[in-house]
Amino acid sequence: MASTMSLPARALTRPAGEAAARPAGDRSHIGRITVIGLGFALLLAMVLSMTTGASGASAINLILHWLGFGTDDTAALRDYAVIVNIRMPRMILGVLIGAGLAVSGLLMQGLFRNPLADPGLVGVSSGAALGAVVIIVLGGTALAPFTTALGIWSLPAAAFGGGLVTTFVLYRVATRSGQTAIATMLLAGIAIAALAGAFSGVLTYLASDNQLRDLTFWGMGSLAGATWIKVLSAGPIIFVALVVAGFLGKGLNAMTLGEATASHLGVPVQRFKRVTIVAVAAATGASVAVSGGIGFVGIVVPHLLRLVIGPDHRYLLPASALLGATFLLFCDALSRTIVAPAELPIGIVTAAFGGPFFLWILLHRRSAFAW
Amino acid sequence: MIALDSVDVSVGGQKILHGVSMEAPAGKLTAIIGPNGSGKSTLLKALCRDYDYSGTIFLDGRDIAKMSPVEIAGLRAVLPQSSNLPFPFTVREVVAMGLTAGRPGVHPRALQHLPEEALARVDLAGFGARFYGELSGGEQQRVQLARVLCQVWEPVIDGVPRYLFLDEPVSSLDIKHQLMIMDVAKRFARSGGGVIAVLHDLNLTALYADGITALREGKVVASGRPETVLTDRVLEAVFDVPLKVGAAPRPGTPFVLPQSVHLSGAMHVA
Repeated sequence: MASTMSLPARALTRPAGEAAARPAGDRSHIGRITVIGLGFALLLAMVLSMTTGASGASAINLILHWLGFGTDDTAALRDYAVIVNIRMPRMILGVLIGAGLAVSGLLMQGLFRNPLADPGLVGVSSGAALGAVVIIVLGGTALAPFTTALGIWSLPAAAFGGGLVTTFVLYRVATRSGQTAIATMLLAGIAIAALAGAFSGVLTYLASDNQLRDLTFWGMGSLAGATWIKVLSAGPIIFVALVVAGFLGKGLNAMTLGEATASHLGVPVQRFKRVTIVAVAAATGASVAVSGGIGFVGIVVPHLLRLVIGPDHRYLLPASALLGATFLLFCDALSRTIVAPAELPIGIVTAAFGGPFFLWILLHRRSAFAW
Repeated sequence: MIALDSVDVSVGGQKILHGVSMEAPAGKLTAIIGPNGSGKSTLLKALCRDYDYSGTIFLDGRDIAKMSPVEIAGLRAVLPQSSNLPFPFTVREVVAMGLTAGRPGVHPRALQHLPEEALARVDLAGFGARFYGELSGGEQQRVQLARVLCQVWEPVIDGVPRYLFLDEPVSSLDIKHQLMIMDVAKRFARSGGGVIAVLHDLNLTALYADGITALREGKVVASGRPETVLTDRVLEAVFDVPLKVGAAPRPGTPFVLPQSVHLSGAMHVA
């Protein structure tokens, strides 16, 4: 990744005179360069994701075959099936979910004015998971009208609803007159997660054997079941949430000064908070619906980027989306190769990176959270 | 002109302001004084629409309750008492936030260097690359003032005056910077903008205010020019302390001498 980042950096270096005119403390150029560099990194990760996997299918061979260089038609057909029906939807889902989770984390951190807020940590994912479990278990019986009406979108819609309710409750509990108490937020998150877990437990108890199998694999957090149907059901929701998030940068910057000051700066604070909460719930909910619980992306990615480009959300938002997508594709590649030909659920890989990283943040930046 | 007409504010069921009416014209620095808990900050928060109020507040004849946040942000900027930031922004990044919503009113090319100019005006030139969280309380207050100045850099645009609301702008500053910041506010008013400042220091108030509104227990006790408000009788009614107002060192400028309390013997209980 480092080598891809140095390319645009060199291309963008300005003449010495102009660089000297840049005001001290203005880091926007670093933000721009990082976003461009991460764009290239993501392209590279996408190509890698298309060309690696348990089967020996090779995109290069396939392209060569199309160009008339290959001879083996059956191999080409098989490669085509693997790449287009398995790897491509998986890659697209990985990009969208990685970007969605990282941006959800960033939005929550800005909204709560707190670098530790993350949908996974404070119960939003649990709420979304409850919504999804409800559909998996009751979708064929009690909620059949709902699933018939919404079709493939019923699962992400229910997860979106669960995420929305939990984010809203969390905000009401943890925030008083624009100030969020970190202890209250984390404790409220634990309570919400426990409550959602209890309801999920009841539903699991009611589930049939087939449903239990679905629930177990889904809950471990994986991209393995990626299909074009899943891309179509969750993709548009995450995509819209990401586009909306792109417009929230300036407002999030103002919100870091406090809600009152943000409103003095012209931010319509109440509406802004509602839009942010809905975007978080949509991106988290849709991601959880198709991939189960993939944790820590929302906290690792924004934190890392804040160290590099600073806390300006106008650059953090696109950078988090790009790095989140790259990070998840990278973890997915690891999960597919580390115990090949079997594969590890990706949630285990992200947790293996994220858990220690989270502890490291707590150790090294303890003073920053001590209010 | 900022005008309040019978403004009541209740916070948590307790009525803090009782029918406050006052005016703060453009081109003038209007000070709000009063003891702790008299409702000074509450009044400013009502002006900023942070608190719900009954009654009417006008900004140049328009009811602020009917204006959008963006519209108001282009007409007035607010200096809070203190701000801590949860993320490591540089001083320059904080000041530049003032540019994102307001109407500085300068040429786009000058905009890029406006944060540096604003920092120089509050005596923080060269502080741009420092982290906001590492500055002292007084320095942070001046950074916030620079941000606020960026939002309404030109006191008048197209003949329309803009306003600065300052909540205890000099509370954590040393004497040099107290005078400097009050000079910045005064200069803004001299150039046609309006300033409303909550002030604790009566001598600074005497030195800089064009008009004074004195509050006590949520009611306006006195309002008018410094000579009419800063009198022994009014100050005793407002602060409950028998203060004596003198008139040195500059002829005609009233000043308040806390020592006068001891001279008169009123505070000697034993």
